[in-house]
Amino acid sequence: MIAGTPYAKLLGVREITGDDETIVLLLPADPKLEGRQGFLYGGVIGSLLELACLDAIGRELGDPERRPKPINMTFDFLRGGLMVDTFAQARLVRIGRQVVNADATCWQADRDRPIATGRMHLLLD
Amino acid sequence: MKGEDDPFERLKNLPPRGHHALLGIYNVDDGPDWAELACPFAPGFLMDAGAGLVSSGPVVSLIDAAAGAAIIARTRQWRPMATLDLRVDYLRSARAGSTLRARAACYHVTRKVAFTRCDVHDGDAGDPVAHATATFFFTGDA
Repeated sequence: MIAGTPYAKLLGVREITGDDETIVLLLPADPKLEGRQGFLYGGVIGSLLELACLDAIGRELGDPERRPKPINMTFDFLRGGLMVDTFAQARLVRIGRQVVNADATCWQADRDRPIATGRMHLLLD
Repeated sequence: MKGEDDPFERLKNLPPRGHHALLGIYNVDDGPDWAELACPFAPGFLMDAGAGLVSSGPVVSLIDAAAGAAIIARTRQWRPMATLDLRVDYLRSARAGSTLRARAACYHVTRKVAFTRCDVHDGDAGDPVAHATATFFFTGDA
């Protein structure tokens, strides 16, 4: 669902089904996503984590018209992102009546070696 | 230090490439420990074309760019660095059609770490869109 938004299309984000049948966001490597030469731009990694959170919430709510508002997000950058395919997936830690807490992970070749993680709070209208 | 030998002046005059070029990020103004960068609105920034809802993604990328520039403005050195962490408070949604402006300040530097904060607005600095703090690590030997 998130892959159809103009911003996800600008980055080139796609949705794929992971090994465990869950939805994973895939960001194919592209020169337009480069920061320091040979590395994925940090802002792009952050944006991908954010899109993963929004995608997970959208699926949970089952209502594409209902768009939760981001309150804040914290990113930890663990490793430099190479110019290769990049993946992200989010987990909803808690879905309250008004606030959702989400956790997202971003990885490249090896899911057990994440390049970044993020935590997001969102407000449900 | 001013002129073409100054790493910060060199940074400002580099042609945009990679993701900066895609977003159209450009330099607006700077001082001894801060830099202001801007990013003109593009339809590709929307999350929902019908509702005119702007994604926070370009805001994150602009903050990352401004914070990095602020560090070079303060240190006047071009040192390889990596973003350690970034926290963004989204104060309100950005308006579709408005240019985003981010002013970042590097308020402290140690041998290995630089600390920054950043304010983002879309036309009125008194009505900000986001506030962020970001920490960077100098990856080289020094």
